[in-house]
Amino acid sequence: MPWGVVYYRSADGRVPADEFLDRCPDKVEATILAVLEAVRRAPPPAFSGGGKWEAMHGTMGGYYEIRVTGPGRRQYRLFCRLENGTPGELAARGFPGPQIVVVNGMAKPSGKLFSDADYRRHVRRLADEYLSTLPRRIAV
Amino acid sequence: MHDTGHHDRRLQRRLRESPEFRAEFARQQREIAAIDAVINTLDELRTERNLTKARLAREIGKNEASIRRLLTAPVNPELRTVVALADALDADVRIVPRKRSAARRKTQVA
Repeated sequence: MPWGVVYYRSADGRVPADEFLDRCPDKVEATILAVLEAVRRAPPPAFSGGGKWEAMHGTMGGYYEIRVTGPGRRQYRLFCRLENGTPGELAARGFPGPQIVVVNGMAKPSGKLFSDADYRRHVRRLADEYLSTLPRRIAV
Repeated sequence: MHDTGHHDRRLQRRLRESPEFRAEFARQQREIAAIDAVINTLDELRTERNLTKARLAREIGKNEASIRRLLTAPVNPELRTVVALADALDADVRIVPRKRSAARRKTQVA
């Protein structure tokens, strides 16, 4: 059974992933959503996503990123986590099955790096808040 | 239980409203499926032949970590590595032309 894909929603009702995708060029957004569709049909540890879905490491361990190059070699990244567990655990989180949780996205010029402060502020802080709520708060 | 259809609705809306999005989404789906199929087929052949990733890496003169990463974590493989792996697994890499659709033939004739 394919996994679900859900987007984190903040306490004030914002959906950072939607806002990020709305800012992406059409072709970048199409690529990102095609990767999400491929991965939900063959989730990790299977190889899927055509090389654009990668597990992250270090302080971003537990996260996955979709990596897409846009116009002018601008780099677009979408950050996700996986929600899996027993049927009871998933039901307590409000889910009928395992989910890819889309947290947020960031973009940068080619050759630049995101700082750990960027990851903390725009990804980990949101995901920590998401993981602290039961049932999970998602975009509907 | 949550309504988990937000992403699906977003995708369907974008497919409906933007021809550029629709064309790129279809193109990316084909590209992703082709890459995933190549990597997954190589790993299936390796399993069938009872070869460890380390052994396979030695056979093509690559370090073990790079082959493990290629077969288990999504990374963009070099074509020459794919060809070398296929060769070590007694397989070929081929490009198979699709049957051209009537619409495409018409475009080319016009």
